[in-house]
Amino acid sequence: MKRLALIPAHNEASSLPVVVGELRQHHPDLDILVVDDASADTTREVLAELGVRWLSLHQRLGIGGAVRAGLRYARQLGYDTVVRLDADGQHQAAHVDRLLEPIRTGRADAVQGSRYRGDAGYHTTGIPRIGQRVLATSLSALTAQPVTDPTSGFWAFGPRALRLLAEHHPTGYPEPELRLFLSRNGLGVAEAPVEMRPRLAGRTSLTPPRAALAFMRVLLAIVVVPLRAAVEVPGRD
Amino acid sequence: MTNFVQVVAVTVSALLLILVLDLVRRRKLTEEYSFIWIVCAGALLVLSLWREILHAVARWLGVFYPPAVLLLVLILFVFVASLYFSVVISRQRAQIERLVEELAILAAQQRELGQDRDAAGHPRADDPTRRTTSHGAD
Repeated sequence: MKRLALIPAHNEASSLPVVVGELRQHHPDLDILVVDDASADTTREVLAELGVRWLSLHQRLGIGGAVRAGLRYARQLGYDTVVRLDADGQHQAAHVDRLLEPIRTGRADAVQGSRYRGDAGYHTTGIPRIGQRVLATSLSALTAQPVTDPTSGFWAFGPRALRLLAEHHPTGYPEPELRLFLSRNGLGVAEAPVEMRPRLAGRTSLTPPRAALAFMRVLLAIVVVPLRAAVEVPGRD
Repeated sequence: MTNFVQVVAVTVSALLLILVLDLVRRRKLTEEYSFIWIVCAGALLVLSLWREILHAVARWLGVFYPPAVLLLVLILFVFVASLYFSVVISRQRAQIERLVEELAILAAQQRELGQDRDAAGHPRADDPTRRTTSHGAD
């Protein structure tokens, strides 16, 4: 079993060493691939010193595209399981096991870490939380699976999911559409309870106008994704 | 606006909206670029359905035949959409040119790396084209 930790990063030069250090401490068995999404800060210099593998995108693709690039590379490198951990430090390396377990036992093709199963720790409040709840309810109904944290980026992908997503991982702010896409293509998604921290430094790229656009994209995805033909992927289980 | 014209207008706008959504469904049209068409088709649909708004706008503009306003709006939308896509094309042109340059640089770096070893993989000593300075980072 070749397992990889995938860390998409945009302007997180100060947080990356912390995240990588934590990962090495809790999971020395995992290889690490960082995808630098056209960062304008000192990320490249930091990466050179961290001793990890990395992809340096020269144009900004956004988180969805960056993850897709990483999954594409991971597949080429022969990995069969990939854990996505964000570079801002919100996802804790100590919880990676919870995400990997359902894949290891074959219970699911992909696992999403949810802040809202069990004790939550840091979580969103106010209007964004209401929006998340509405989204969660809609997605649960559409995918016929429990969706409690639709925008969580803490994911683990098994071999079947990796094969599909190396080509078709959604772009933009992709997590809700990802659940729709996996469901439409017959992949089982399990949820694992996790606690997230506030980001270690910097600011989110999800500004209000981007959030509005992302919301519209989710609406569009809700209409369109269930009606799409299932995707065929070369390669076998 | 007569009933017949309204039926035609609503049907055509609805069909346009469905066409755009189907193109997104078939992955022929990317979500990002579909929004402007969805907004246009949607606006046309709304104007076709609510003749009061159309008539009010026609009165305000001094246009005698309300469906002419629909035509005007359609032409305006098509113009704006075309302009928007010209902007997108310009940005993509810049991206493509940058990719071409990066690729050429990457190929040169690969070539130079290759020249440091002979066929058996032994480091070459006296390759005349070999650079003595560092090749630099990305």
